[in-house]
Amino acid sequence: MDSLVIEASRSSPAIRFDAGIRRLSISGESYPENAAAFYAPVFAWLKTFLAGLEPRTAVRVNLEVLYLNSSSTKVMLNFLDLMEQAAQDGVLVTVNWRYDPDNEAILECGQDFSEELHALTFNLVEQPWEPQ
Amino acid sequence: MSTLNLVHLQDELRRQGVLMCFSGPFSHSIIEELGKAVRHYLESAQVARSALMDVFAVYIEQAQNVSHYVCRQKAGVDQARLASSGIVVIAQEDRHCVISSGNLLDRADAPALTAQLERLRSLDKAGLKALYKEQMRQPLNPQGGAGLGLIDMARKSSAPLEYAFGAVDDRYVFFSLRVVI
Repeated sequence: MDSLVIEASRSSPAIRFDAGIRRLSISGESYPENAAAFYAPVFAWLKTFLAGLEPRTAVRVNLEVLYLNSSSTKVMLNFLDLMEQAAQDGVLVTVNWRYDPDNEAILECGQDFSEELHALTFNLVEQPWEPQ
Repeated sequence: MSTLNLVHLQDELRRQGVLMCFSGPFSHSIIEELGKAVRHYLESAQVARSALMDVFAVYIEQAQNVSHYVCRQKAGVDQARLASSGIVVIAQEDRHCVISSGNLLDRADAPALTAQLERLRSLDKAGLKALYKEQMRQPLNPQGGAGLGLIDMARKSSAPLEYAFGAVDDRYVFFSLRVVI
């Protein structure tokens, strides 16, 4: 299966989904004009990928978001729900939610998500922000 | 001479502590550009990063709410009038940042919005979080709206959301919303 690569824009994150090493990364900011439209190809890829996984295989999800607007938050929960479903089906899913300790909103957002998810492993990982 | 008096306009903006103001039809690229400018300004003013991101977040929700509301209205004679009624202002008041937005609103939409805002004003932090989580589970509407924006602003605001409806004409009121960080 081909990898999914979408470059970041100012209001949409970089997507790096690598089927070969089973690592899914989303990084950057997300406040696109229409979140459902932006993420539609991401969900299409993900559903095919998850359908092809055997139980007991490990998948790592790396989320390094600096900002999510409200509709992107909802989309991110849908994404995590799909990963949760895979975990319930026996896939070993680890999510690393990386947050800058100086950005409380993103830590709080990670905490909100972690309370909704039980079958997958959800780690809150502190990672100080570095100006580019 | 009846030309625009820039000095008076600038004095008034300064007197009201206005850091940034946009009035007119919002496009996605305008929302992006102004957001970038706001962040640069607050960074250079040494505003703490958490507060800076809260101001940015509230600005984005307000600007996208105005823009989505206007887009949802049926195309017609009033479309341009509605689109140009949008305004977002970021101002400094004492040690707080205040983000305010306004737009023309169909009178028919006012009761539901009032009920929603009054509900948010009555909730404490825990209540707002519970409502946020409940709303997070509702599907996105076709325009991409989440129905989460106002709750998110209420959670970030250091005071209950303030709002007003100003009389305009038989069809519209002017809705304004104020969030204090």
